[in-house]
Amino acid sequence: MRLLLIEDEKKVADFVARGLRAERFAVDVAADGPTALDTLAACAYDLIILDLMLPGVSGSEILKRIRRDRNDVPVLVLTARDAMAEKVAHFEAGADDYLTKPFAFAELLVRVKALLRRGPVNRASVLRVGDLELDRLSQQVRRAGKRIELTAKEYALLEYLVANPGRVFSRTMIIEHVWDQSFEGLTNIVDVYVRHLRAKVDDPFPTKLIHTVRGVGYSVDGEPEA
Amino acid sequence: MNTRSLRFQLVAWYAGVLAGCFVLIGAATYVVLQSSLIGALRETQMRRARQVGQLVLDEIRTSSAARVGEEIQARYAPDINDRFIRVTGSDGSSIYLSREPRDQAFDPADLPPPAWTSRTESARQVPLPDGRKMLLATRQIQTPAGARYLIETGAPMDEVQAHLRQWLTFLLVVLPVVAALALGGGSFLIKRALLPVDQIAASAERISSQNLSERLPVARTGDELERLSIALNHMVQRLDDAFQYSRRFVADASHELRTPLTVLRGELESFSQEPALGPEWRDRLGSALEEVERLGTIVEGLFAISRLDAGEAAAEWVRFDLARMTAATTDQMSLLAEDKNIQVTCAAAQPVWVEGDQARLKQVVVNLLDNAIKYTLQGGAVTLSVHSLDSKAVLEVADNGVGIPPEALPRIFDRFFRVDKARSREMGGAGLGLSIVKSICAAHHGCVEASSTAGQGSRFRVELPLASAPTDHPKNTNHER
Repeated sequence: MRLLLIEDEKKVADFVARGLRAERFAVDVAADGPTALDTLAACAYDLIILDLMLPGVSGSEILKRIRRDRNDVPVLVLTARDAMAEKVAHFEAGADDYLTKPFAFAELLVRVKALLRRGPVNRASVLRVGDLELDRLSQQVRRAGKRIELTAKEYALLEYLVANPGRVFSRTMIIEHVWDQSFEGLTNIVDVYVRHLRAKVDDPFPTKLIHTVRGVGYSVDGEPEA
Repeated sequence: MNTRSLRFQLVAWYAGVLAGCFVLIGAATYVVLQSSLIGALRETQMRRARQVGQLVLDEIRTSSAARVGEEIQARYAPDINDRFIRVTGSDGSSIYLSREPRDQAFDPADLPPPAWTSRTESARQVPLPDGRKMLLATRQIQTPAGARYLIETGAPMDEVQAHLRQWLTFLLVVLPVVAALALGGGSFLIKRALLPVDQIAASAERISSQNLSERLPVARTGDELERLSIALNHMVQRLDDAFQYSRRFVADASHELRTPLTVLRGELESFSQEPALGPEWRDRLGSALEEVERLGTIVEGLFAISRLDAGEAAAEWVRFDLARMTAATTDQMSLLAEDKNIQVTCAAAQPVWVEGDQARLKQVVVNLLDNAIKYTLQGGAVTLSVHSLDSKAVLEVADNGVGIPPEALPRIFDRFFRVDKARSREMGGAGLGLSIVKSICAAHHGCVEASSTAGQGSRFRVELPLASAPTDHPKNTNHER
C-alpha cells in the first residue's frame, strides 16, 4: 500500500510517516502544493493524507484537482480547522474523511485503514478476543461461555474496542464513536463506562482484557498487560 | 419624578427664573403705579387748593368770611363728590369747613387740626379714624393786607388703594398662570429636545459585547445631541474593533497551537508505545500525554468560544424538540449519575420547539448536566425541566449539591474561572464548560443565568427563543445514536 502524505509541517509529517511506516505502509511525503501535484502526476497512490493549510497551492485546490482528474483515490483531510460548515464543504469537494489537529495517531491509523478497506474494519459477525465472544447480530456477549448482560452503550463501547484488538483508542475517539461530538471534552463519561464494563467483563475473571494506556486511552487485548 | 434629571432641573430653573422676573416686574409696576396715582391725586388736590386760595384772595376783600364760605360751597360742593375743603385763618378762625359727604365716607370734624408750616404748599397723608387714609393738600395764602389763610383740600385715598388692590389681584391671578404655562411649555419643549437622549440611552443599553456591530440612532439635527451620538458610535466602533481583535487573537492563537500540539502528542504517543520502555517511563509519558490532551481541550474550547462569539455558530440551523433532546441526553448520561448514586429526574413531557445548531445546544445540556453531577454529592438529586414560557423555551438544571458562593456567582460564566481550583482540576475541568454554554446560548439569541445557595444547590436557567411547532406530523428530528 502506497500512501502520499501532503503536509508542510515537517515535524507532523515526520511522526505520521514514521508511524505509518511502522504499520508497513509505503509513505511518500510532499511538503508543498506544487511538489504534491508533481508527485501525484508521476505516481499512483492508494490513499492521500492531505493537510489543508499548505504554502503555494492550497489543500482545497489540490483536492479539487484530484477530483477533476477523475481520480477516485481516497483522501483523508487533515487540518486545524474544525467548523462544521467547512467540514461539510470538504466532504462535498470530495474528501473521504476528515481529521482535526491535534489528533491521536491511533485515530489516524484507524481511519486510514477504514478508508483502504472501504468499509467496516472488521465485518465478521462474531468477534473474539481471548475467551471473550461478541455476537454482532444478536448483540450478545459471552466470556468463557457465560452470558454477560450489557447496556446498549456498554455494548457499543465494547464492540468498538473489540473490533480492533490491540489498538489503543483515545477517549475522544470513543466519545465520537459511541456518543457524539456534543460530549467532546467530557472524557470522564468514558472512564465511568469503562469502569462499569470492567466490572462485568473483567472482574469475575482472572485474565484482564481491557487495558488502560495512560495518557492515550483504552484497548482490548488478549495478551496480558505489558 | 426624578429631581436630578436634566429635564426637571431645566424646567425648574426656567419656571423659577420666569416667576422671579414676573414678581420683580409686578413689584416695580406696583410701586410706579402707586406713586403715579398718588402723584396725580395730589396734583388734583393741589390745583383745587390753589383755586380755592384764589377765590379766597379775590373775595375776602369785598365780602365777609361767611360769604366766602358760601361761595366755596356753591362753587365746589365738596360734600357731593366726597371731597374735603377747609379754610382757616391765621388766628384760628374757620372760614370754611366742608360738610359731611353724602355717603358719609368720613366726618370732616375728625380730621386733624390745621397745621401751619413754613412752606407755602405741602401735601400729607392723614389717617382717618376708621383706618383709611386721606390725602391732604395744604396751601398758605396771604392777602395784600397781610392776613394769612390756610387752605386744605383733601380726598380719601380709597380710589388709589382700590386701583392698587386690583393690580395686585391681577398680579396674583396671573402669576400662577404664567408659572404653569412656563412649566408646561418648558417641560414640553425640553422633553422634545431631550427625546433623542432617551433614545440614545435606550439603544446604548441594548448594546453589549454580543452585538457591538449595532449602532446608536443618529438624528441629523446638527445639534449637540447629534454630535454626542456620533461620538458614542465612534466609541462603540473602537470597542467593537478591540473585541474583534481579541476574538481574532484567541482564534488565531488556538489555531496556531494545534500544530505543535499535534507534534507533541504524536511524538509522545509513539514513544510511549516503545516496547523497551519501563513502567515508570511509561507512566511519566502518560502523565505528559494527559496534559497535552488537556491543552488540546482548552484550545478546542477557546476556539469554539471565539467562533461562537464571532457569530459563526450556525453550521446547521434546524428546528427540533428541545424537550425530547434533553430527555435523550439525560438518558445517555444516566450512568454518570448512577455512578455517584445521584437521582436524576427530567421533566420534559411537552414538546418545546426551538431552532438552532442541535449539536451545540446538546452540548449545553451535556455541560450543565455534567456540571450538576460533578458538584452534587453522593446520593444527591439533579432535576432537569424543559417548558415553554411566553415566547421562550426554558431549560432548567437544578441540583442540591455544594452550590456556588455568592461572590463567585457573577463570574461563574467567565473563561477559566473556577470556584474551587484544586477540585475542578482534579475532575479534569478546563474552566471553559460554562463559558461555552454561555456563548452557545448567546449565539442562539438566548441567555443563561445561574442562581445558587451555597451548601444547598445551584440552578441554571437557559432561555431560548421559542420556535413555532411544525405544522406537519411531528417526526423524530433527533439523530441520536
